[in-house]
Amino acid sequence: MKKLVLVLAVMALALPITARAEEKAAEAAQKEFVVYSDKNARGNHYIPSGWMGDYGDIKMNDQSADNPKSGTTSIQFIYSAKKSQGQGWAGVYWQNPANNWGNKKGGFDLSGMNKLTFWARGAKGGEVIQKVMVGGIKGTYPDTASVEMGPIELTDSWKQYTVNLSGKDLSYINGGFGWTITSDLNPEGATLYIDDVKFESDASLKPEGKKQEALPFYIYSDRSSAKNHFIPSGWMGDYGDLKYDGASKDDPYLGDTCVKIIYSGQKTQGSGWAGIFWQHPANNWGTVDSGFDLSKATKLTFYARGAKGGERIEEFKVGGIMGEFSDSDSAVIGPVILEKEWKQYSIDLKGKDISYIIGGFCWSANVDNNPEGATFYLDEIKFE
Amino acid sequence: MNNSNKSVIDTGRKAAVFAACILFLFFIFGCAKQPKVFIKKLKNKNYQLIVSGRPFVVKGVCYNPIPIGKNHEYDWWSDSRKPWLVDGKLMKEMGINAIRLYQVPEDIGKVKTVIRDLYEKYGIRTIIGDWLGFWEYPCPLYGDVKFRERIEKQVLDMVNSLKDEPGVLLWILGNENNYSCIGTVNPWSSEEIDKEPDPQKQKRLRIKTYYSFVNEIAQKIHEVDPNHPVALGNGELAGLEYAKEAAKDVDLVACIIYRGKTFGNLFMSLKATFDKPILLSEFGADCYDAFLKKEDQNMQAFFLESQWRQIYENLAGQKRGAGNCLGGIMFEWTDEWWKHDDSNPDSWNVHDTVSNWSNGSYYYDIRAEGNKNMNEEWFGIVSLSKNPDGGLDIRSPRRAYYAIREFWKNPNLNNKKKKAKSK
Repeated sequence: MKKLVLVLAVMALALPITARAEEKAAEAAQKEFVVYSDKNARGNHYIPSGWMGDYGDIKMNDQSADNPKSGTTSIQFIYSAKKSQGQGWAGVYWQNPANNWGNKKGGFDLSGMNKLTFWARGAKGGEVIQKVMVGGIKGTYPDTASVEMGPIELTDSWKQYTVNLSGKDLSYINGGFGWTITSDLNPEGATLYIDDVKFESDASLKPEGKKQEALPFYIYSDRSSAKNHFIPSGWMGDYGDLKYDGASKDDPYLGDTCVKIIYSGQKTQGSGWAGIFWQHPANNWGTVDSGFDLSKATKLTFYARGAKGGERIEEFKVGGIMGEFSDSDSAVIGPVILEKEWKQYSIDLKGKDISYIIGGFCWSANVDNNPEGATFYLDEIKFE
Repeated sequence: MNNSNKSVIDTGRKAAVFAACILFLFFIFGCAKQPKVFIKKLKNKNYQLIVSGRPFVVKGVCYNPIPIGKNHEYDWWSDSRKPWLVDGKLMKEMGINAIRLYQVPEDIGKVKTVIRDLYEKYGIRTIIGDWLGFWEYPCPLYGDVKFRERIEKQVLDMVNSLKDEPGVLLWILGNENNYSCIGTVNPWSSEEIDKEPDPQKQKRLRIKTYYSFVNEIAQKIHEVDPNHPVALGNGELAGLEYAKEAAKDVDLVACIIYRGKTFGNLFMSLKATFDKPILLSEFGADCYDAFLKKEDQNMQAFFLESQWRQIYENLAGQKRGAGNCLGGIMFEWTDEWWKHDDSNPDSWNVHDTVSNWSNGSYYYDIRAEGNKNMNEEWFGIVSLSKNPDGGLDIRSPRRAYYAIREFWKNPNLNNKKKKAKSK
């Protein structure tokens, strides 16, 4: 009897240990890790709590029954593009725990995974997601990886997208998935649906090498074009003297819109000059490792005209941002005296090393040569 | 041994002796014809500086030992305490083999004393420059014949006076004078240029005018002094695409550059535009963290070591680089306390921590107010402090002094690999 009791006691102790070991083994061997599959699904691991930018422009229905990709629901986002918080962009992060901006320990160790997949569609088709993100939340407990992909132009039917995470350190991921959208790319707003977001393990997937971008590589095509790259975020000098309209309809050279810039020349910050850098990502003064490899390009071309003619731009430039992650080169033309009619200009890149560019395009002007300021237009800015 | 064999051997011996004599004469003749300092283009199109018949990597420092409480007008050449003797000893211990002087005073006797002392006592050579009127007021007039003649005479007088000093290494013409052609510093023009309505063409005309002026001086220096190379001082590589035609007689480019931890594609870019060897004649990092508002010697050492690593990677014969670099000259030997506020003598006694300019490449303290992170008074490889005995200011080597000394002893061009091996 004593022996039986002893055996039972040992078994009682051993069973949970065995079960835990099996659970761990199962976790290690698992091929996927779900971010979102269906409303209230037990396998969901992250919460879409991190609303960013113009959060007032976003409405979320996390149990939309309107044609889900699988199961009974998908998540519907309606973006109004009203710039409720004056940002011009909005987005949502899936976090763990909810609202964790890196201020508390959470997240998951996803070391066994090497890609994230999700399904998405637009209500009409043509809606543009600026980028999707995996990781990238900073703070006291920062994510160990930050990967971005985009822009993505949605179709009106479900399509699966993949973010390659091979070679990334996924040992702590609090921002499981996120997306951002901009009013420039979606001036009338957008309705989009997302479903079946999950991390997966794919033995056949290789780390993504640094790819050379295909040409033409647009900086500005049209306001809402998904082809646009770089953000006109680097305002310099007398930035208070500048007004930027990325959707001007004042006789664009091509398409529906062009860029209109008004430089008042009032020396608001006392510099006597002003300019704008188109950066990737926004406000990157060499602090973020994110350059495009534009090695295939031999020139950057753009169209420009002055409102009156005679406006003098000191420099048009590619590259030249210096920081921890500097542009690999720079090329400049100028001074350029603009004409009243559109004229194409070209910055020669032959012999330049443009394998790493975060400052795609830049202009600068000064008040000495534009005592009454200057209004000018830009269009069709692209690497060729 | 029969007679015919003996005769063959004798003839052979005579021929060998004759050949040896010819070779010896060729050697003597060759040595006599070779300039003391010259640049050799190797078969692989790399460039090498040759000094006294041997490859020479310039491990230099800019030298302007202004003491605390004085400004740039101070005549340190006449200082009876001879600061260069104290500095030269420290430099030699670090491994420095050259100093750069931006401009020398009219009293050539004093200049010779400094050059000789440094060379004879410490083996340190001197690179001598001339501003080419860059800081004259009004602005330099490179299109004006009289101005050109005056500057040219000034330079040639200096060269003629110093060319036979064994300690002289090379000449540098100008510093960042090319920026005056672009209009960013000390802009100038001429009647001919003013007639051109297109500002881009105006710029080109100014650059060509300036570079052709430098070229003329270089030609004339070569006539009077074939023993020392002539460098074109240039801010970054700006304008050098025009130097190919306008300044083809200069021997090398002396580039002033502040790009933080990397020189980027500088070496390759020069090769593509103006295929001349390059000496980094002014580069470096300050050691004051303008964001945290405290001295940070590690920051300076980090940038300088990274910069020297790139210089070495681009010397002749290195696999990865452009093979066109001849060495570098750090800015600078001692701090200069007068620089922040030159017009206020009281401030020359204060080690100002106000930043003068912004450079994102030196990213550790770029979050300083207004992004102004460069502290002009804190570039010294050695710091200065007042000597309570009234003697020369006390020199204290900073961390960069030791870091670069160790790098020169054992140039480690691949830091990561070495670290991995040492584990």
